[in-house]
Amino acid sequence: MRWASDRLAQVGEFVVPLSHAPGDEWRTQASVFEEIYFIFLALGTAVGIVVIGYMLYNGWKYSASKGTTELDDPPVLGELPRGEGGGKKLFLSFGISAVIVITLIVWSYSALIYAEQGPEEFEDNMVVEVEGYTFGWDFIYENGETSTNTLVVPEDHVVTLEVTSRDVWHTFGVTELRIKADSIPGQTATTWFIADEQGIYLAECFELCGAGHSFMEADVIVVSEETFEEMYDEFTETGSFPDPPDDLEER
Amino acid sequence: MSEHGLPPKSSIKRWLVTTNHKDIGILYILTSLFFLIFGGTLALLIRLQLWTSGEFILSGSAFGQAVTAHGLVMVFFFLSPFAFGFANYIVPLQIGADDLAFPRLNALSYWLYLFAGLLFLISFFQGGSLEAGWTMYAPLNLPTYMPNPGASTVVGALLMFVASVTVSTINFVVTIHQMKADGLSLWNLPMFTWSILLTVWMMLIAFAALGAALLILGADHVLDTVYFTEVEGGSLLWAHLFWFFGHPEVYIVFFPALGVMLETFQTFTGRRLIGRKWVILAMILVTLQSFLVWMHHMFLTTINLEIKTLMMAMTIGISLPFDLIVFAMIYTLIKGRIRWTTPFLFNFGALVLFIIGGITGVFLGAIVLDYEFRGTYWVVAHFHYVMVAGGTALFGGLYYWWPKITGKMYDEYLGKMHFGAYFVGFNLLYFAMFMSWEMPRRVFTYHTGFEAYNQMATIGGFILGASFLIMFYNFYQSWYRGPVADGNPWEYSRTAEWATDSPPPLENWEGIPNYEKGFLEFVDRPEGLTDGGHGEDHHDRHPDHASIWPLTISLTTFIGLAGLMLWGEHIVYNTLFIVGLFATLVAAVGFAREDFYAPMPDWGARWPFEGIHKNKFGMWIFLASDIVIFGAFIGAYIFIRWGYGWEAWQTIPPEALPGLVNTFVLLTSSFTVILALVYAQRGNQKGLVASLIATFGLATLFLVIKSWEWNYLLPEAETLPEATIALFTFDWDPLIGTEGPALDASIQHSTYYVTTGLHAIHILIGMIALGYLAIRAYHGAYLDDEQPVENVGLYWHFVDIAWVFLFPLFYIL
Amino acid sequence: MASIKFYFAIYVALLLLAVSKVVFMELLDYWAAVGGIMLSAAVKTGLIAGFYQHLVDEPRAVTWVVLMAVAAVLLLASAATFSIT
Ligand code: HEM
Ligand SMILES: [Cu+2]
Ligand SMILES: [Cu+2]
Repeated sequence: MRWASDRLAQVGEFVVPLSHAPGDEWRTQASVFEEIYFIFLALGTAVGIVVIGYMLYNGWKYSASKGTTELDDPPVLGELPRGEGGGKKLFLSFGISAVIVITLIVWSYSALIYAEQGPEEFEDNMVVEVEGYTFGWDFIYENGETSTNTLVVPEDHVVTLEVTSRDVWHTFGVTELRIKADSIPGQTATTWFIADEQGIYLAECFELCGAGHSFMEADVIVVSEETFEEMYDEFTETGSFPDPPDDLEER
Repeated sequence: MSEHGLPPKSSIKRWLVTTNHKDIGILYILTSLFFLIFGGTLALLIRLQLWTSGEFILSGSAFGQAVTAHGLVMVFFFLSPFAFGFANYIVPLQIGADDLAFPRLNALSYWLYLFAGLLFLISFFQGGSLEAGWTMYAPLNLPTYMPNPGASTVVGALLMFVASVTVSTINFVVTIHQMKADGLSLWNLPMFTWSILLTVWMMLIAFAALGAALLILGADHVLDTVYFTEVEGGSLLWAHLFWFFGHPEVYIVFFPALGVMLETFQTFTGRRLIGRKWVILAMILVTLQSFLVWMHHMFLTTINLEIKTLMMAMTIGISLPFDLIVFAMIYTLIKGRIRWTTPFLFNFGALVLFIIGGITGVFLGAIVLDYEFRGTYWVVAHFHYVMVAGGTALFGGLYYWWPKITGKMYDEYLGKMHFGAYFVGFNLLYFAMFMSWEMPRRVFTYHTGFEAYNQMATIGGFILGASFLIMFYNFYQSWYRGPVADGNPWEYSRTAEWATDSPPPLENWEGIPNYEKGFLEFVDRPEGLTDGGHGEDHHDRHPDHASIWPLTISLTTFIGLAGLMLWGEHIVYNTLFIVGLFATLVAAVGFAREDFYAPMPDWGARWPFEGIHKNKFGMWIFLASDIVIFGAFIGAYIFIRWGYGWEAWQTIPPEALPGLVNTFVLLTSSFTVILALVYAQRGNQKGLVASLIATFGLATLFLVIKSWEWNYLLPEAETLPEATIALFTFDWDPLIGTEGPALDASIQHSTYYVTTGLHAIHILIGMIALGYLAIRAYHGAYLDDEQPVENVGLYWHFVDIAWVFLFPLFYIL
Repeated sequence: MASIKFYFAIYVALLLLAVSKVVFMELLDYWAAVGGIMLSAAVKTGLIAGFYQHLVDEPRAVTWVVLMAVAAVLLLASAATFSIT
């Protein structure tokens, strides 16, 4: 329930996602996703229950074993197919469902624009190139150094990922941060994220890429800005990140 | 006891030679159930592996193969053929026909399907099968990244399956349009037949696109071309081609099931369908729209925002007609007398499952959500809720038509038990997948947090699997001991299949079905005839029902393909290919020469295809699919060239002249082939033979120039004779050699050789047909029936038209 | 069915159109030539399909079937190409 009330609170503050002009407080992809997912889930469940409930109710009500209904014009073998009336009701229900579906999708579309445009509005985005290979991830930082299977980023910062692949099609995704981008040879897909909590997140591959697909994981380490600076300096010097502070939580 | 040349059903031989639609329907159903068991076993293996989060019974590679084969087998070799088993059996009955339009081609479809399945199975014994998911994303689908030899065989198996589908598509399109009983218009078709009609129209386009994709993939496998390894967009090219087929495919597997639902909802509620014409229009709309949404499977790739938006809008658009169809079914329940028989339980259940699948699909239509769901168990759960809902309806269909097909009743109690176990198992299995949606799909180990859901799913999977034991037991009992079912065991059934015996006699009806008066009547067959007085010379002839050639052709194709896909791996494969190729040629000639009589009713060719003979109509339908194949090759070329930089691209032939000369040659051959038709019509045998030979000669000239040109480009074959010999002895080393500009030298070379090569193969096939016609004409054929000359001519002109586009695209632009 | 003369006239037109492609390439600048060539290819196709394959004499629906297939591949090629730009 707490999860639900949190989500509801978010919906309140984010009814029209587009209204977030640059300069407003940016939201993480995760919170955008959670909110939309929640609305879809709530409405989807409601619609499902109503429709399936209605089916079951009619199935029960008009069951022949109850013997209550007599057919007024029963079909006969060999008649030319024709329909039965009742079109009005059909179109009414159809109209309602169409309105729900279209509203939902159009509403979520503004969030898409937000998700797509996000990083461009920031001046000091950190850009990391992500290169998938069978079976691991290389992260190439702006200093030209490569870190394998470990992505270290500062907390509360917009990080842009430019994702590509060295061999076959992979998909880079971090479930907890709600980000994902295809890693395709010869193509560069872009995504961005803001991690607002420190910790160690799990990056996985979401496209079958061979026998080692299940093991194609990397750590996404989110640390405070100062720690990041230190770690990054050492990375620039030695070509590999030092161990992160021990007190980071796995997420 | 032999039925018009057919051995009795108890004899094995009957089942090898039969061309009767009911026999073929049964063969389809049985074979598809075999593949259900195979694919189901793989599914249970997968589920077993996922019982624990760590390593268990399968290796990563074995798991990948199991997942891939499970998906491909269930979609291609179970679901669709299962539905087409019913289509075969029921559609001719529903439209009041004696058989399909082309009974022999129907048998050919079946045997091609069976052997395609066998080829697939063989791949497991060739050192590993395909391991790239049923979507076969590039470049993992290539030997460079996944060297299992069996993977190439799978490509061959799928190609053979596409051939089977194409043949049966043509057959059903022509049948439904041209074999309907008198007085039965398009609009009046029963819903199941409508669903099959729309399915085959979709298949016509979609499977041709898949065919093109697989041909290119096959070239990458066998000829080492570099389409899908081409970094500028090879992966995306595959994704486009695959999903252009793949999205319509989900409706292709679902529509027949929808048809079954629409039939059973009417029968078991005793009501006619609410808003029937709107439902039909909605289905037609879905058919068209299904080709406009394919990139919603590619939202995470690098396609641009504009096209994503468009695809998203189309995706919502396509969900709306389905809303209408669902509501129409629900409202049909109202005021009915619902009998909760097994078929109805399954179909009602299918609708419930489909609604859940549909709602969760809307989630995927919202791109921001799709970004997260892609590659996770959400997708797996969603498409099983949709596709296996289709399967559920079809199982209902099996119970519904079982008495018709076997003449026996099954046991209701066992049937309901089956449904109960099935439904519980289904939801445990797939709902658990929704709950573990954060888990990546196609992984064989995972994080321990998901274990509980996975175990729930595994238990559900085994319950689902076990429920089929009840079904098989029920049918077994019914077959041997069940009570006899009469022609119409269901109250309130309407459609014509119930108006004949169970099972129906060989030619379905005593009289001729007729709807002229607005309801089904049987008019007497004219004395001595069964075909309703076909207007042609065969008047007193009885239709044929047996041919050995469909089986033979499929077997030889199977041998040839098995060899071709692994050409060069071992001398055995090379031999198989050559033997298979020549045997196929011989079998094809046998097929063509066989005098097989399958009449078309006089009233058959009606709106919107009035007055066109079924053979010519069939040829046009085939050409439509060939247009898509060539179009997809050309589209692939444009796509790659655009990505590469259109004007930076180097055309391969250094001179346009040979191409221009060849254009003249082909245009001239088009002229001579039309002359052949004119002479045939005029009864001028000399003229006919001469023009056919001239056409053949021009085709030869075309190929000679072509091989000279290829030779000119290929440094390793230095003279024209060498190049020609290389071509005709299939010694392709000079072509695919590693030195110099060969097929694999660059993407430019690959597209040039493969596309013009496809065209050259068309020319070769045309030459075989022309040669055959010329020889027959020399012996006096076609003077009173020029149809074959005209139909081969249609094909030949098409080959000419293809060149009209290839020449500028590959030579001058 | 038309006369041999008629078919021959079509044949000559086809030959001329074939030559026109090369001529366009010589005379026009690149993209204009592309347009011209595609146009003459389309006309050629129309002539062959209409008169050699007798589409004009068949029920109109057959033409629609053919056009439907053409539309499908045009859609595939153009939307796919557009999506990468
Ligand atoms: C009509 C029946 C079915 C159809 C059409 C079907 C179709 C598919 C397809 C297309 C895939 C995707 C394969 C891939 O990822 O490349 C798949 C995966 C899967 N199916 Fe089925 N399936 C059917 C029945 C079943 C049954 C009965 C079970 C369980 C007992 C099952 C369990 C699974 C599992 C566990 C996966 C793998 C998911 C993954 O790792 O991504 N399916 N199925
Ligand atoms: Cu992977
Ligand atoms: Cu789709």
